[in-house]
Amino acid sequence: MSRPRALNLPRVARVRVKQEVPCEVNGERIDAVRESWLVEDRWWTERPLRRRYWELVSVRGRNLVVFHDLCAGGWFTQGS
Amino acid sequence: MATPVLSSSLGTPPYVELHCHSAYSFLDGVSLPDELAHRAAELGHAALALTDHNSVSGSMELAQGAKDAGVRAIHGAEVDIAPDPGGGTHARHLTLLVRDARGWRNLCRILTYAHAGTREGGGRERTEPSVALQTVLDHGEGLVCLTGCAERGVHERSTVRRLFDAFGQQGLWVELQRPYARHDRARNRALAALARELGVKCVATGNVHAHARTRAELQDAFVALRNHTTLDASEPLRRGNHTHVMSSPRAMAARFADHPEAVRETLCLAEQLRFDLRTDLGYRYPGSEEESAPRRLAELCWARLEDRYSPAALRRRSAEQPSGVGERGRSVGRVTHSVRAEAEARLEEELRVIDRLGLAGFFLLHHDMLELAREVAVQVRGAGTARALLAPGRGRGSSVSSIVCYLTGLSHIDPITNGLLLGRFLHEDLRGLPDIDLDFPRDIREILIPRVHERYGRDHAALVAAFPTFRARGAIRELGKVLGLPAGELERMARAADHRADVEHDTPAETRSPRWRWLARLVGEAYRLPRHLSQHSGGMVVSTRPLIDCCPVVPSAMAGRQMVQWDKDSCADAGFLKIDLLGLGMLSAVERCVEEIANTRGKCVDLSRIPFDDPGTFKAIRAADTVGVFQIESRAQMQSLRRTMPENLDDLTVQVAIVRPGPIQGGAINPYIERRDRLREDPDYLIPYVHPSLEPVLEGTLGTIIFQDQVMQVAEAFAGFSPGEAEGLRRAMSRKRSEEAMQRQREGFIAGAMRHVGADEQTARRVWEMVEGFAGFGFPKAHAAAFGLLAYQSTWLRVNYGPEFLCALLNEQPMGFYAPDSLVHEAQRRGIAVLGLDVNASQVQCTVEKLDPGSEQSASRGQAPGSEVAATDGLGVRIGLGYVKGAVVDEVRELVAERERGGPFADPGDLAARAATRCGTLEQLAWAGACDSLVDIGAATKASRSPDARRRLALWQLGVASPGEAVGDAVQLALPIELPRAPRLRPLDRWQRVLADYATSGVTVDDHVMAVLRPRLSIPSGADQGALATSAQLARLPHGCSVTVAGMVIARQRPGTAKGTMFLLFEDEWGTVNLIVPGAVYERHRGLARAEPLLLARGRLERAPSGVLNVLVGELVALERFLAEPGEETVGVGASTRVRRLPGADGTGQAGEEEQDGAEMAANMRAVAPPIQSFASGRRR
Repeated sequence: MSRPRALNLPRVARVRVKQEVPCEVNGERIDAVRESWLVEDRWWTERPLRRRYWELVSVRGRNLVVFHDLCAGGWFTQGS
Repeated sequence: MATPVLSSSLGTPPYVELHCHSAYSFLDGVSLPDELAHRAAELGHAALALTDHNSVSGSMELAQGAKDAGVRAIHGAEVDIAPDPGGGTHARHLTLLVRDARGWRNLCRILTYAHAGTREGGGRERTEPSVALQTVLDHGEGLVCLTGCAERGVHERSTVRRLFDAFGQQGLWVELQRPYARHDRARNRALAALARELGVKCVATGNVHAHARTRAELQDAFVALRNHTTLDASEPLRRGNHTHVMSSPRAMAARFADHPEAVRETLCLAEQLRFDLRTDLGYRYPGSEEESAPRRLAELCWARLEDRYSPAALRRRSAEQPSGVGERGRSVGRVTHSVRAEAEARLEEELRVIDRLGLAGFFLLHHDMLELAREVAVQVRGAGTARALLAPGRGRGSSVSSIVCYLTGLSHIDPITNGLLLGRFLHEDLRGLPDIDLDFPRDIREILIPRVHERYGRDHAALVAAFPTFRARGAIRELGKVLGLPAGELERMARAADHRADVEHDTPAETRSPRWRWLARLVGEAYRLPRHLSQHSGGMVVSTRPLIDCCPVVPSAMAGRQMVQWDKDSCADAGFLKIDLLGLGMLSAVERCVEEIANTRGKCVDLSRIPFDDPGTFKAIRAADTVGVFQIESRAQMQSLRRTMPENLDDLTVQVAIVRPGPIQGGAINPYIERRDRLREDPDYLIPYVHPSLEPVLEGTLGTIIFQDQVMQVAEAFAGFSPGEAEGLRRAMSRKRSEEAMQRQREGFIAGAMRHVGADEQTARRVWEMVEGFAGFGFPKAHAAAFGLLAYQSTWLRVNYGPEFLCALLNEQPMGFYAPDSLVHEAQRRGIAVLGLDVNASQVQCTVEKLDPGSEQSASRGQAPGSEVAATDGLGVRIGLGYVKGAVVDEVRELVAERERGGPFADPGDLAARAATRCGTLEQLAWAGACDSLVDIGAATKASRSPDARRRLALWQLGVASPGEAVGDAVQLALPIELPRAPRLRPLDRWQRVLADYATSGVTVDDHVMAVLRPRLSIPSGADQGALATSAQLARLPHGCSVTVAGMVIARQRPGTAKGTMFLLFEDEWGTVNLIVPGAVYERHRGLARAEPLLLARGRLERAPSGVLNVLVGELVALERFLAEPGEETVGVGASTRVRRLPGADGTGQAGEEEQDGAEMAANMRAVAPPIQSFASGRRR
């Protein structure tokens, strides 16, 4: 039997930041920030998790969710 | 640690925190109020509101901490609102903040109502507190209402509207939070719109749960713990991040960048909340406002003084009393005259101070309470009994030093003849109320507490709360489970951890996993945080105003009792009058003993008039022959007795105080004992005081600090503290987590000493170290005097009325240091006959019995050579049927009643037919040997016609007689039938009897387990190992020799002051052996040292100059490894056992079953071994 497969895995994203706020994601300019939240969890495991999420609206009107990995660095998209 | 941000340099800080939880939210908050207050000050907050869940338990601590830290305390609570009937299942939260005194009263009432139904299920079950919304609306005056937290606040229009109607525009704020969760901004936009619609303002809050980032993880762990789950499984319940840590005002302003007006509003709202808990509480105790109180108190005292200090009374007392120690040689007439004059002067002075402090009503209230206790005592004891002579209770603590207390009956120690200084108890700088602790026998206390509730009204009297805190063991178990660590490993670690340091110490082996590292860290962070609300052992608060206007009152786990939400420190800060009604096991035992003496010998003993210089009693004390007596019976006390050699009550007063963490850590013990020895040898020896100014205060204790009041006296004499400042020092020492406070005291002390007596800095530091070392715990002298007296009285009873005293101790268990089994063995060694259980002789409780002269009963068994023989007067102690575990008490009572009605039971059939006793109870009784006397050996087949067959025969016959069947609540009795002859039954051997005794009654009166095992021991003796010695043989061995000892462990201790060393006490058939297990050896044999009942130890014999023997252990081994198979290589009993068994062995094929190997025997013993003394398991006094 195969193991369960994780869905909705994060993908690396190219994000430009202006004053700590994302202003461009994968080449797409950002028009507005809808929400920003913080996840700090699993600190008791070997792979602690600290992420700052951003829910953004691009100039094309797309809703984007990206996060900044505060442990290892790097930006990722997740969901849509 | 962040650098403090000074608000003045940056203008007004832009934000005040109005929603904050402390650890008093119990598992939803991880910082103490004091920590929160100091952190708030550091971050530059001007004020801080504490809003714990349904509780103000931390409010007083916040008020005090905030004052120290320089922030303003705001009080409030987050209240659970019960779901409307039919609507919703979850309670919701409202944040209530106190505006003025009226608001505090309303908050206390709301919280009282919220908790009212939490114990309705009965027993220990507690349901979550919650209150109907309407109750909050009805009690809104003086309160400010915030709509509650992001997750569970009140957010829907209809309910907010109801709040608006009740609280109005000036009383309701819509609460905005920004916990950095996904839908914060949308929710806050909607709430702001709702606020605009209603015309109320929004206010920003942070919902703080931790004062510092280092505690943040513990909050996650607490969430899992509260929900009985693990961290891995509780993700949806957690907050998801660590933004619940307190932030600076600037950071909070930035967090709410979308709602600047809500941030500004925090300042405006905080400005309106001006209630100060320290001054605005308005508490009064009954009698405090009575104008006639000073006069009434004076009249009462002067009348009693006439009586107690009349020349006749003084003459009588100087002949009888303990106190005349310092007065020997003076003529009695001169003494009585000067005592009288001194008493008058002292009373005048005390009455003046009391009047000045306005405390006359306080003393009258205590007097009143004691009169109430007297009524209860008459009711409990019965008027005609010997106990009726005794006072209903007695004072302990510093109150004993007051002549007013002595005259009003609160204490039984004459402070004048005992030279007790008033000092701490009553002085003009006194800021709080003095402490009066009253000890009562347990039975009287049980009735007195509800009676006090009645006397002052349920609204006006309640018990004080206590907060059990996280300690190493509990924290390891609970937090380890939360981390998902394996239970077996956790238990092993928890058992091995006595102290906080053990966790870190034990962890290295496991450091490969981050979870174990986190466990060590979380346990360290949780250490000393309150775990839940519980009831103080006996402190009561009474008030003229309804108490629920001063502090919320909540039901306690014990039915019919209620308590305030504050602990004793908070009650003291609030100025509450707290009366401690404490139950003291030894007082109960002493009363029982006096009554028993009256029953058996027809003598009426008045313990206040016994000779207080009885040579026999002091001889026993100096020989440390004190098992079972009050205070001076523990292993440590006994060792110390042989060195201090007490000669009078004053010495005993020092003795009970000396084996305490305070004197031990302050390094007082050894200097005291050495100086005492020197003085005994050379009366001209000069005590080396650290500084001459200390001589007047430390003279009585030879230059060392032994009593708590001496700390204050030193502070006054040496560092020039005022009595009030000295009291402040004492409080700083006794408070929880007071490192910072102690640091401040230290600076003041050293500077004061240099100024006041011109001490150089080094000397000042040395004295401070003596004082600081004391910070652990110590007795005030007056308390020690009261305890020393009880120690003497109990020893006197033990020496002069051995059987009665043993009987009283056995009936008052659990109490004291030793288990009943050890008490019994020790008494037997002193020649007191202890008779086993017998359905035809035992009562429910243990009794004193006249021995049949000439019978084998009166011959003492196992008496140690050279030990003192007790005065038994032909009396022995019979173990009571109540000792049989698993026997239903009512049935046993009924059994005894039936025997008294219808005469002794003739045989097991008769017993089964007449006693309304179920099968299970009868079986337990038979197993315990209580039916042995009913068995006619002749009824057995020839093969099992041995006395040792009795227990099995009794069991068999009871089974055949088929005793009562339970029908409903009653028992249907069996028909008396002729019992058939029993088949061949194997007799119990001695080992099996010991096991059966321990399994059923926990006490064995025949063979000692070591007497049974010794013949089977086969110990290879090596060249470097000493031969096996009994406890009796040890006395004849030279100091320093190698020795091996074996025994049953009856006490283990590993006190925090001993730096890892463990102390064991072995018992064998001849006596006891003290063992010292050094830290390194303990580490090697931790499992054995902590849990194995039967041990063998190899080590070196150490004989102190005082004659005290200790075995310094190098190796511990489980005794089972040296138990040979019976008949294998042993002779004697082992062989005879085999012979005895032979007849049963033929053809039955069961003989092998009886032959147990060592491992099996040890396992059986482990299962039934009596509970032993260890500080961890906490046997009670």
